[in-house]
Amino acid sequence: MRFSNEKIVGTSVLPDEAIPLLEGEGRFINDISFSGMYHVAFLRSQYAHARLVSVDTEAARAMPGVIKVMTGAELAGKVEPFRSMPNRFSGGESVQHWLAVDKVRFCGEAICAVVAEDRATAEDAVDLIEVDYDPLPVVTKAREGEMDDAPRIHDECANNHLIKREYERGEVDEAFANAHAVVERSFHIGRKQAMCLEGRGCVAAFRQGSFKLSVWMSHQLPYVVRHYLAKHLKLGETDVRVIAAQTGGGFGQKASIYPEEFLCSYLALQLRRPIKWVEDRLENMVASTHARENDVELKIAFDKDGHILALDSDIWADVGAYSTYLWSAGMEPLQIAGLMPGPYKVPAMRYVTRGVATNKTPVGPYRAVGRPTASTSLELLLDDAARQLGMDPVELRKRNLITADLMPYRNANNLLHDHVNYEACLDLSAAKANYQKLREGQESAAPNGKLRGIGVACFAELTGLGTSTAVGPGTLLQPGRDAVTLRLETSGALTIAAALPSQGQRIATAMCQVAADELGMKLEDVNCVTNDTAMAPYGFGTFASRTAVFGSGAVIKAAQELRERLLALGAHLLETPKEELGIVDSAIQTLDRSKSISLANLAEQSFFSAKHIPDELNQGFEITSFYDPKFGSFAAGAHTVVVDVDPETGDVEIVRYVAVEDVGRVINPAVVEGQIIGGIAQGIGEALLEELIYDEDGQPRTVTLADYLVPSSMEIPKIELHHANTPSGAIGGFKGCGEGSIIGAVGAIACAINDALSRKGGDLRAFPATPERVLRALNVEMRDA
Amino acid sequence: MARDRTITCKVNGRAYEKSVPVRQSLADFLRDTLSLTGTHLGCEHGVCGACTVLMNGRSVRSCLTLAVQADETDIVTIEGLRSDSGEWHQIQKSFHENFGLQCGYCTPGFLITAIELLEENPDPTENEVREALSGNICRCSGYSAIVTAVMAAARDMLELQKT
Repeated sequence: MRFSNEKIVGTSVLPDEAIPLLEGEGRFINDISFSGMYHVAFLRSQYAHARLVSVDTEAARAMPGVIKVMTGAELAGKVEPFRSMPNRFSGGESVQHWLAVDKVRFCGEAICAVVAEDRATAEDAVDLIEVDYDPLPVVTKAREGEMDDAPRIHDECANNHLIKREYERGEVDEAFANAHAVVERSFHIGRKQAMCLEGRGCVAAFRQGSFKLSVWMSHQLPYVVRHYLAKHLKLGETDVRVIAAQTGGGFGQKASIYPEEFLCSYLALQLRRPIKWVEDRLENMVASTHARENDVELKIAFDKDGHILALDSDIWADVGAYSTYLWSAGMEPLQIAGLMPGPYKVPAMRYVTRGVATNKTPVGPYRAVGRPTASTSLELLLDDAARQLGMDPVELRKRNLITADLMPYRNANNLLHDHVNYEACLDLSAAKANYQKLREGQESAAPNGKLRGIGVACFAELTGLGTSTAVGPGTLLQPGRDAVTLRLETSGALTIAAALPSQGQRIATAMCQVAADELGMKLEDVNCVTNDTAMAPYGFGTFASRTAVFGSGAVIKAAQELRERLLALGAHLLETPKEELGIVDSAIQTLDRSKSISLANLAEQSFFSAKHIPDELNQGFEITSFYDPKFGSFAAGAHTVVVDVDPETGDVEIVRYVAVEDVGRVINPAVVEGQIIGGIAQGIGEALLEELIYDEDGQPRTVTLADYLVPSSMEIPKIELHHANTPSGAIGGFKGCGEGSIIGAVGAIACAINDALSRKGGDLRAFPATPERVLRALNVEMRDA
Repeated sequence: MARDRTITCKVNGRAYEKSVPVRQSLADFLRDTLSLTGTHLGCEHGVCGACTVLMNGRSVRSCLTLAVQADETDIVTIEGLRSDSGEWHQIQKSFHENFGLQCGYCTPGFLITAIELLEENPDPTENEVREALSGNICRCSGYSAIVTAVMAAARDMLELQKT
């Protein structure tokens, strides 16, 4: 390269995005107010399943300060309810009204909305509404819910199968018949949720004229919301503007479409006033999507050398009361089943998977949908197999990993593995953890009668999915194209516009780094907006570890075109052949720097003093490029975890955590480290602490942060993080890094616990590994209180 | 019983006299009455710590404190951390330089809690930092960068005192 900038990609640039957050000026959804704004509070169902006999709102309506009380009956017919997104594998339909009509199907379902002058008044009025419920029998477990005699949650959905898929590829029966060993295992993981520190919320505002409806929302997919708002409210799409406000965590929970924000938008149109609703924690725990709660029965055939011959799985996902809007109920059941093989060679596989409706909060996408369940059940089984075959668990894994020399490699789940090195991750993880030494010292290492366990888990995480690979399997929703606009302002600064909002991932910073490198600009001259449909070109938004891949790819494509335009004009203005020019430090210059024009000067001339510039050289410095990587990019990792289990108390302590990750080419190392460690922390919660518990009547028992335990600074150990990065096949070599680590965390911790328990004949099959479950797995007698 | 009471208090160095509903929380008073929206509500039952502010130099959960309890007190929120000349508090600098925040929703509570810790214990061990922060929930970071930031702030503040 003749013109070289110091590369900004690959350095831990301090993110400007953090500055307002450090000064208390983040302006999250609850910080946005308009004069004349009304506030909404919801009356929510106290029953898991009931007929609504009557809803008496008279006293609420009469309360001073109350503007309106909306019921499901009043709303019915005026807006389109949420019908489950068609899915090739759907068993039956669910229809979710924005406010319940006739029936409620989970505790927390919205029945009425009260609009008042302030939130406190709205909440007071909610207490005055009298609802007469006629309770119906409930379904609280997937495997009971699919029985022929189980209560039906939706009339059109037999066996409560919102999703059912059967799949077979390769000679599965033959493999099991000829196997040297067949190993079986059951696995259960509890229900959890994203627990963003900020709940959902919106401010919806109406005005006559253009942009009739503007909605500020705490959401990951502003353009998708705009499309569906217009559709459901029967507005023109250009009448709607959606702005993803500063968002306090997403993790997938803010990637679905929910009734509350749509109802507030409807109310804003009806009442012609700005309307605000912000979820409180209780609402968030019952009305925002949950995740996981899966049962797996897994069976694998091995040959005598420990090679996997075939995999057979039976999967039940409790998907809650409704098919989550847009994504369908297929997220967990289809992804657990389809992604079960992970990074391992599986020549033949078969599965039956079901998403069963229950009278619980709907399940939606959450960090690494399905994969922690798939990976953990498989990794635990591999440890069982290693014990049975008398092999070391790491050696067994090495024999089954898809190695780089086999790539591109198509597995029995039809996914193509390429540009990833699973073996390098495992080798580095074992080396950094000093695995052999850990094993040799395992017997003597644990203090005070504790059981020491070592767990190693490998994972594959498909990121940055293009149009050829489904994010929402079986659905019409196939995100895979996103656009970025680069615009050189007349000041010479560059604006990047994209609909790829951040929930803390420093997406704008990353795109600025990529653009600065591609265009030869100073980082301080580059700015980025990511959250506004009125300012950004089309984009699906931020989810599924896609944004670094799509945003950077589109930035690079657009920058290449913009660069050509800038150099062409630069050549004219400097009277120098284009080939002799480059862009360095935000200026177009010759190699010897004898001639130079700053982009600021060029941009200003091109707009304000264009008289002497040929028209064809002055077609604007604004380029929009779409990027579709077609396939996904596999990220990967191998985590090694050492735990000490206390057989007296059931307590699990993580004493060592070594994570090795392949996240492709890294844009901002410190940001990537934050993503990985943050994912591990949520994985620690998933493996040890977090569970949403329901009683047999479908009543949620975990409705505060005092009942539902998320890890604090005391539960997260020091994480030793190492990289074994392989560039992806996408433009720039980038991969996503937002989700992978949670998969490795749950798997490695589960394996470590069972490694410890196995020394006393214990085997844990249900997670999270609460002290009670650990003690029961060790057959400790417990008096049920 | 009166539904409103008049309180006088100092918030971020500025004196206020306001009539407040007796049932109003300090958090709502700060956010809605004084428009100091930098203090965030994460759970409204005192568990997550996002709403932590300093009252007379001690950290309090503003969601569990009533506005009337702030009568005749001195409150500091995240908006009040900068010096009179606009310089960041060392803890703000340190969180920035060490990537100690992601979504930033919990950040105000962590900054305030860390300031209280470093006032009481200017040279804490990592374990003491973790213990002191254990009443604040961060869902994004896994705490690693936050702990690093607080340790770094402690070092920098001790250095500054020496000079």
